[in-house]
Amino acid sequence: MSILSRNVTRRRALTIAATAVTVALAATGCGDGGSAPALPGAAGGDKAAQSVFDAAPVASDAEIPAGSTMDKIRKRGYLTVGGSLDAPLLSQQNPVTGEIEGFDADMAKLLAKYIIGKPEVKTVTIGTQTREAMLQAKEVDAVFQTYTITPQRATQVAFAGPYLTSGLAVAVRKDETSIKSVKDLAGKTVIVGANTPAVTALPEAAPGSKQVAFATDPQAVQALLQKRGDAYVQDFTLLASNAKSNPGMKVVGEPFTTEAYGIGLNHEDTEFKEFVNNWLRKIQADGTWAKVWQNTLGSVVEGGTPTPPAIGSVEGS
Amino acid sequence: MDALTGHLGEFGHGLVTTVHMTVVTTIGALLLGVIVATLRICPVPLLRGVGTVYVEVLQNLPLLALLVLFVFALPTIGITFPLFTSAAIVISAYEGAYLAEAIRAGINTVGVGQAEAARAIGLTFSQSLRYVILPQGLRAVIQPMGTICIALLMNTSLAAAVGVVELTQAANNVNLVEAQPIAVFTGAGLAYMLLALLISRITGALERRFAIVR
Repeated sequence: MSILSRNVTRRRALTIAATAVTVALAATGCGDGGSAPALPGAAGGDKAAQSVFDAAPVASDAEIPAGSTMDKIRKRGYLTVGGSLDAPLLSQQNPVTGEIEGFDADMAKLLAKYIIGKPEVKTVTIGTQTREAMLQAKEVDAVFQTYTITPQRATQVAFAGPYLTSGLAVAVRKDETSIKSVKDLAGKTVIVGANTPAVTALPEAAPGSKQVAFATDPQAVQALLQKRGDAYVQDFTLLASNAKSNPGMKVVGEPFTTEAYGIGLNHEDTEFKEFVNNWLRKIQADGTWAKVWQNTLGSVVEGGTPTPPAIGSVEGS
Repeated sequence: MDALTGHLGEFGHGLVTTVHMTVVTTIGALLLGVIVATLRICPVPLLRGVGTVYVEVLQNLPLLALLVLFVFALPTIGITFPLFTSAAIVISAYEGAYLAEAIRAGINTVGVGQAEAARAIGLTFSQSLRYVILPQGLRAVIQPMGTICIALLMNTSLAAAVGVVELTQAANNVNLVEAQPIAVFTGAGLAYMLLALLISRITGALERRFAIVR
């Protein structure tokens, strides 16, 4: 009898295990599916991006003195950039073409074009913990990774720019009605991305809120939908693209902080910083910046193209 | 150095969570390890099979994948555990598989004559296990079990990926403000090293106390 009952339990256990695995696979599938369509600019975006690169300016020889960082990059033939592969609309690898697409990725290619004459970029994926060390060791020429300019960071790296400003916003599940802005987050459990500005900004903006941090954006979205928290605080543009691909969530209120993103450069190399700042002024003036914005972030954010931030307008840049 | 001393509160909280997680998980993993090792040597073929499958499945999957699956897949079938509990369950189950193998190795060091003698004086399987085999088997593998506990301590840092603010996540959070990765992570590393040293001292003392001179 005992053997029989064991057999039954074992079979049942196997069925349960099989169901769990199937569900797990389906769930991870959903996770990927959730982030992949967050590339509305991708269809036909390739061509648009290519035409921007074709029209983009190239530095004159006079701007690149022999022996400078720019000269070394030009001789090497490609620009080494520290960035991400998993940030939708900013820097995300297209699984079909292998190209890295988004605002940060396009800006990096434009800088490469300006120095070398063609948009040749070698992207090194780096974590937010290692950016300063990578720049100090000159492992990368520049970091394009929604790198918020702060005075503390500016003691270790140089920031060109800001080249983009954004802010943190609040997203909730579709059926949530009690949270209308960041002020309503007191006493709530709030999901944030680990190592994002939200970790430090949230306690100031919403005292008394409880924080749960997840490593990646798709995980955080999944956690919100699975009710592990009442809200998800993240960069506004990222939330807008998430809300577009996930009908179960919505963005509430306006961004409540201002994050100024800079291009991280080696701290000692003032010549390169000046060069990059001049390039930024040039592409802002000739409309290239606006075209890149429209191709990427502009595809999910309502309202017109914003005015690019003034170079050097932030403490630390 | 200011990056460390200015955030002792955060580091302290992280350290307490790491220690809490390590203690809870070690107890869970030890219990599971003994049970699974017993399954693997028991006379019923079906139970031996279950033990083998458990060890093979859990040893051969990366811990991070298990954590992410447990935390994000179970809620889709309506089971949601708090994050700390989820991480503790998964790490216990994972390290339990390693401990089971260490304990089984210990059991194999006990001579066949011991088991035969136990049977000869009329002990049942569970009695001979409890009074004869396990007490000798466990004593033989105190050191490897200590090593696995140290690995367990290091593996608790993976809980950071699923939202548990333990020492590594605390260090990440401090670094986000201070942008001093070398100081911050050296500090966290030293804390892990001290904890690991503590575990190895404890296992050393236990081994001296319980070792059998053969």
